[in-house]
Amino acid sequence: MELREMNYNKNDYVETASGNKVCRQTVLCGSQNIILQGKVIVQSEAIIRGDLANVRTGRYCIISKEAVIRPPYKKFSKGVAFFPLTMGDHVFVGERSVVSAAVVGSYVYIGKNCVIGRRCILKDCCVIEDNTILAPETVVPPFTRCRGSPGTNVSDLPECQADLMVDYTRSYYQHFQPNKII
Amino acid sequence: MAYITGPDVVKYACTCGLLKPISQLYFCRYCCQLRCGFCVCHEVDSHFCGKCCENLPSSEARLKKNRCGNCYVCPSCQQELSTRIGSKGPSNPDDPKSTPKKMYYLSCLYCRWSSRDVGIPDQSAATGGWPDRENVHANRLQEIIDMYKAVVLAEKQQKEKDKKKQRGKYLSYTDRTGVTAASLRKRIGLPADIQHSLLKTKPKEPEPVIPKEEVEDLPEDIFTKLVKLMEVTTIEQRLLQTDVQPITVDMLFPIHKQLSIKRSLRCRSCEHNVSKPEYNPNSVKFKIQLFAYYHIPEIRIVTVEPLRAGRASELIVKFTNPTQHQTTIAFLPLDSVAEEAVGEEASFNQQEASFDAIKQSASLTSLSSQPSSLLSLSSRQPSITIKPRAIVQEVTADVAIPASKVILPPRDDAAEYDDSGDTHNIQDDPKLVVWRRSNKAFVKLLVTPRENLPINTEVIIGFTMQHVYTNTIATTVENKEPDKHDHNIKVFLTIGNLVGSD
Repeated sequence: MELREMNYNKNDYVETASGNKVCRQTVLCGSQNIILQGKVIVQSEAIIRGDLANVRTGRYCIISKEAVIRPPYKKFSKGVAFFPLTMGDHVFVGERSVVSAAVVGSYVYIGKNCVIGRRCILKDCCVIEDNTILAPETVVPPFTRCRGSPGTNVSDLPECQADLMVDYTRSYYQHFQPNKII
Repeated sequence: MAYITGPDVVKYACTCGLLKPISQLYFCRYCCQLRCGFCVCHEVDSHFCGKCCENLPSSEARLKKNRCGNCYVCPSCQQELSTRIGSKGPSNPDDPKSTPKKMYYLSCLYCRWSSRDVGIPDQSAATGGWPDRENVHANRLQEIIDMYKAVVLAEKQQKEKDKKKQRGKYLSYTDRTGVTAASLRKRIGLPADIQHSLLKTKPKEPEPVIPKEEVEDLPEDIFTKLVKLMEVTTIEQRLLQTDVQPITVDMLFPIHKQLSIKRSLRCRSCEHNVSKPEYNPNSVKFKIQLFAYYHIPEIRIVTVEPLRAGRASELIVKFTNPTQHQTTIAFLPLDSVAEEAVGEEASFNQQEASFDAIKQSASLTSLSSQPSSLLSLSSRQPSITIKPRAIVQEVTADVAIPASKVILPPRDDAAEYDDSGDTHNIQDDPKLVVWRRSNKAFVKLLVTPRENLPINTEVIIGFTMQHVYTNTIATTVENKEPDKHDHNIKVFLTIGNLVGSD
């Protein structure tokens, strides 16, 4: 199915020179630690916790409504330490998902209502289906589809998954347009 | 988005008759046919661990029983185990200032199982060194395996000897010298081969199992004792460790993680590779990638008007040309290709018959007279012929097949940044093409669901898409021009459910 036009109110979003579209109703803590590489969409009520550690996304990332991007922590004998969170290009994070991974590769699709446990490593080209809970420190190898609680590998992905994700995130960005003022 | 999560609404018919979404199909450039996962040979390229991403050679993988040596999964919930550090008192008990000794244990972060639960001692090294449980039947199993290996070897030797004997019978008489050692021996009444009796060592048979008559009685309290379900393992947990099959949870041991594979795919008809991944387990790139997504125009449903039985609705579909060559798309009814497929099969049979004839004639004449082209042909002869099956898909609506064709310009990655508009000057049928941009065209089709269709049934349409495929492999040296020809694919679209008459 071809994507439908998604319109937003122009006053609600800030568009940067590099093409990032960030909603004004988001919580971006520690914005000096957040790097959005360009053409990234951050939708309303999303939370990015840059105050804990650096958050870095690639190009064409989509962070849906009410999603939480939270750098992972690790407990040590002398307290806790937070680690930076990096995200590759062409990543989709669904609504109300909590991402606390250490690394999210490129061409990754994370569905709605997912919990990606702390210090998970999602390699390139993987799909986390809706309502999946990934246990902490899980590694998801390339070309796998995860489902369930705890998330387990349920099937393989087609080899052209990278191109499918590129096409999806690009067309999402193209269809995400402000309302036309009449 | 249908390819990633949603249902597959647009399906292409593979050459074998199965319906698949385009993302799961391959396109063999040499046969110019669609291939699905069942029409290709799957070959294991490399083994790797999904957690530590370490590549293992296949011999080592076999030795380790296809399991990773360093990574473990939880025996209770099958999630990956992680190594934790637990400090355990100072390394030197007399000196209170010395740093605490680091000890490592395995723990599951999902179900909180840990190696301490079952009494595995903590390790001083972070990786490896975890004790592996010996299988109690290991010796017996090894004995049996050895015996069967010996049996195989003996059989092979016997076969070889038989062959030698047969050959020896004829050769010894036609031999130039006339008299060989074997024939001499035969003449004086000795067995032909001296080694015969020496070689024939019978494989050592292991001790047979002795049946026991006395079996231990069930414990007295088996029916009266309360079962503690928390201490009994589940079937899955037991089957994970087939050698031990623990009954209680205190017998659970960490399990080595199963290895994953990278595989390459080969067309079954011409044995060319259609997919070959890179060696690195983290890489998502391919050395050979003949996926249909890169060669066949993609069809997507854009909008559908409400579908009513017997009434025409407008359906807009989007065509995308993924190739670097211009293509033309024509529409044909479904049954037009059915005849062609039969014809193709007939011609294939004919070809085969003629090939047989050639083979016979070739065998009659000397080898040197056989043209070299034929030799190369014989090596390309399909090892397995796949007979196309009938496509099992009921069509519940009719499509008005448009007479005009749609031209799709080549794909241009730079067009995305080009704001000057379309430079292609294509005269379109305004009734057919609604809108176009770079290598995409939106096409309007008229769909009429069948009259007698009940409400809420799925409406499925089908048509044959004919597109011009430009084959860029240089087939012959003289012919430098890319080879263009029409390629037909049957496409089935699930366009939605039927709604009420008004």
